[in-house]
Amino acid sequence: MNSAAFANTGSGFKDPEKLSFERDWIRRAVLASYWIVIILAFPFWWHLTSIERLALPTSQVRSQLQNNIVFPIAIHFDASISQQNPTLNSQVQTLLHDSAINEPGRWTGVDIRLQDRNDEVASSLYTVALGEQTSIAHSRNLRVNRTDAQSATRLSSILSDLIAPPESGTSHSQRVVQYSDHYRLAFTLLNEDATPNRFVATWDVQAALAEFIYPLMSQLSILHNFTVESQVQYHAPLAFEPRRVTLGDTEVSGLTQEDLTVFINSAEWTLASSVSNDPVLHFVLFVPSETHSPMNIVDSEGRPINQSSFLLPQWGSIFILNNELNSSSLHLSYNDLKPVFRNFATQLAALLGVPPVPFGLIMEGSFLSDWQLDALLRHRALQNVQGSQDTLHSIIKLVDQINNMPVGQVVRDDVLDALASLHEAYRTAVTSPALALRWSSKALSMASRAFFNPGMLALLYFPAEHKYAVYTPLFASISVPLVVALIREFMAWKRGSRDNGRR
Amino acid sequence: MFSMRFQLLPQACLLLLTCFVAWAVGSSGSSAPAGERAADFFSRHDSGSGHTNNWAVLVCASRYWFNYRHMANALGMYRTVKRLGIPDSNIILMLADDVACNARNKFAGSVYAEAGRHLDLYGNNIEVDYRGYEVTVENFIRLLTGRVDPSMPRSKRLLTDDHSNIFVYMTGHGGNEFLKFQDQEEISAFDIADAFEQMWQKKRYNEILFMIDTCQANTMYSQIYSPNILATGSSQIEENSYSYENDNDIGVSVIDSYTHYVLKFMEGINKTSQAFMQDLFDSYDPVKIYSHPGIRSDLFRRPLDKTLITDFFGGIAQAEAFPLQDIVGSSNHHENDPTPPTSQKPDTPSVPVVLSPTVVSLPRLTGETHAWDNRWKEVRKWTSIFVVGCLVSWVSFVR
Repeated sequence: MNSAAFANTGSGFKDPEKLSFERDWIRRAVLASYWIVIILAFPFWWHLTSIERLALPTSQVRSQLQNNIVFPIAIHFDASISQQNPTLNSQVQTLLHDSAINEPGRWTGVDIRLQDRNDEVASSLYTVALGEQTSIAHSRNLRVNRTDAQSATRLSSILSDLIAPPESGTSHSQRVVQYSDHYRLAFTLLNEDATPNRFVATWDVQAALAEFIYPLMSQLSILHNFTVESQVQYHAPLAFEPRRVTLGDTEVSGLTQEDLTVFINSAEWTLASSVSNDPVLHFVLFVPSETHSPMNIVDSEGRPINQSSFLLPQWGSIFILNNELNSSSLHLSYNDLKPVFRNFATQLAALLGVPPVPFGLIMEGSFLSDWQLDALLRHRALQNVQGSQDTLHSIIKLVDQINNMPVGQVVRDDVLDALASLHEAYRTAVTSPALALRWSSKALSMASRAFFNPGMLALLYFPAEHKYAVYTPLFASISVPLVVALIREFMAWKRGSRDNGRR
Repeated sequence: MFSMRFQLLPQACLLLLTCFVAWAVGSSGSSAPAGERAADFFSRHDSGSGHTNNWAVLVCASRYWFNYRHMANALGMYRTVKRLGIPDSNIILMLADDVACNARNKFAGSVYAEAGRHLDLYGNNIEVDYRGYEVTVENFIRLLTGRVDPSMPRSKRLLTDDHSNIFVYMTGHGGNEFLKFQDQEEISAFDIADAFEQMWQKKRYNEILFMIDTCQANTMYSQIYSPNILATGSSQIEENSYSYENDNDIGVSVIDSYTHYVLKFMEGINKTSQAFMQDLFDSYDPVKIYSHPGIRSDLFRRPLDKTLITDFFGGIAQAEAFPLQDIVGSSNHHENDPTPPTSQKPDTPSVPVVLSPTVVSLPRLTGETHAWDNRWKEVRKWTSIFVVGCLVSWVSFVR
């Protein structure tokens, strides 16, 4: 061989057989080390490029969808009523049963039962007794007058309105805000234009809140937590010019239905701070400027209606203050604020979905009766349970549908927590609607947290060509010499062993 | 290669046949449940759209001085939705925001959308929520799906619910089924479609109007599959969107043609206008816009000539004088006659676009072609592996 000839000349050349890098085992070790690194690195590469997708409790979620929360309700007719009409009990029972069959949506989650004796101490035992007039009394009592007590139809209609209040159409479902643990109530006194003659500088908001809003809040505190803030603003121009309407000898600014929808000048009014992510309910007391006062809401024919407040669904309410202000007083006293805050309290209750008192019933005492509160609790708990079921189901569906959506340990834990809370909600519904609501609210927040987990973001969509385009320039150029060297080495080894064999 | 092609020929025929059969069966079978669903929807929201709040997401996906017009597009839309009553807290504006204070901007602190510079869009009352390098595909998808960091402030979140109507506007440089974000990354039509689906699953919207101004814009909404989405774009596939005019003092194009005409139409709209979406779509003129704007309404459940523009661009939809007397037992609104579903509405000849009746079959067909593409990819992949293998063995045997 040539190389041998070079080596023999004894100049600078060495025998290739003696060169360290030409020795067979060294060359093979070099090659092998490359391959070992590649093979060892392969699991890491696989692990690092694959998406973590833990298995979710799919079958549990599916079976949860079949379940529903059920509140057992027991109604007891006092002896004073059942003595008068012994068959009343069964008549009312039949009527209520029919109503439940005819309107299944309204009665979802309610299992109503009429009891003869008052011996069973259930958490939601309602008593109906004879009284002077038909009215709601304290602690789940209902008094009915003599004529109403005679009629099974009247009794069953009162009872069903109290226990499963009808949702009066879409306006109701749109008006009520979505359930949340926390709400912020923002009370704003807006002066359209603080010209010296006519504006309100201060208001006795603390007293008014304490009288009208706080009692309601404390009653609703088993459902929600509230934060209250208030402010006064001195320049809040309207974004439109109200039409002037002549009424007899006076001229007023008329707000049509259309004007009401654009009344809020969101571009220029700052009504609530944005310090937290809780939903805000706005309550605005609007003082029109001198040129626009008095300001009235008018109906479609242009006649002023006898109301100075209106409600924007899920947003809040607005009260237009038209009282003849003393030019000397820049202060709104507690007495001035009474009608305003009575109105705000009603509207707050409406926004939060408190069912109205059925027509023809008188309420004794405070703001909300236990009947209303219980109905609200049941309704919200049912909504929360359905919401969390839907959310859990959509998580399962989306993970199934979108292949590169990661599912981490946190998400899985949240889903399991939500399932456990749902279970607790079903369990406690029998004894206490308030506890059931607490659990259902936890289930909803857990399910939502799982859904909104930042780690759940699906990787962006890459077409297969993009993946080839990334990997090929790198791996094709590395793999060709490696594979070729391996094949060559293998053939050299084979030839060598054949030569040895021949020798 | 030739033999392979001939082998595939019968398969191709078969595929075409199944395509056709699936389309025919699908189009005849899907009409009944669609009607039912529409009826269900209308009984649920019998008072118009059924929304109580409006949101807008405005995205300018490009940066640098020469893309001045995209910033102007987004700011023009911002000004319009704000003027029509969407509060700043409900507008999410994503803007590279590097033109107003660019060293090359002769009119520092101002952005104009027309030659002559009459209206400063930047002004003194503007709230950019995602600025500069925050405008990324990831942030956009996170914003839509709600999967944001817990520490994210309220102004950067889309706090919508099932009573929200959302207007999504995007502008930038794009191509077939993608839109570039700041010359670095791109969002594909699939990403947007999946994000909308996730929003629908979590009940994060009532209706969406998706509007996009970019080259080949109509491809961007082709993959959307979630209900109650109305989509419109500036140009067809293989078609560019052109700018409208230059300003000689600013030295670059100041607005895109499509957006210019949309904004021009919007100037005639106020908060209480009774104009409908169909009026906006009828105003599209491909000759003036230099491209063919598209509309996709097959997912949208209301007739376009009954859908108010202010349902998407406006503020609040309804107000109740209070207290309202609740009428006990008035549950008969469920039996209202359903309005006929939208998709059967005949196309108006003046509109230069493919409207819903033909688009209905599109997703299914693309599904088939997708399968066909996949098969092709398989074939190509194995062929290339075979060729590489041949090369490797050839190199190793020839010494």
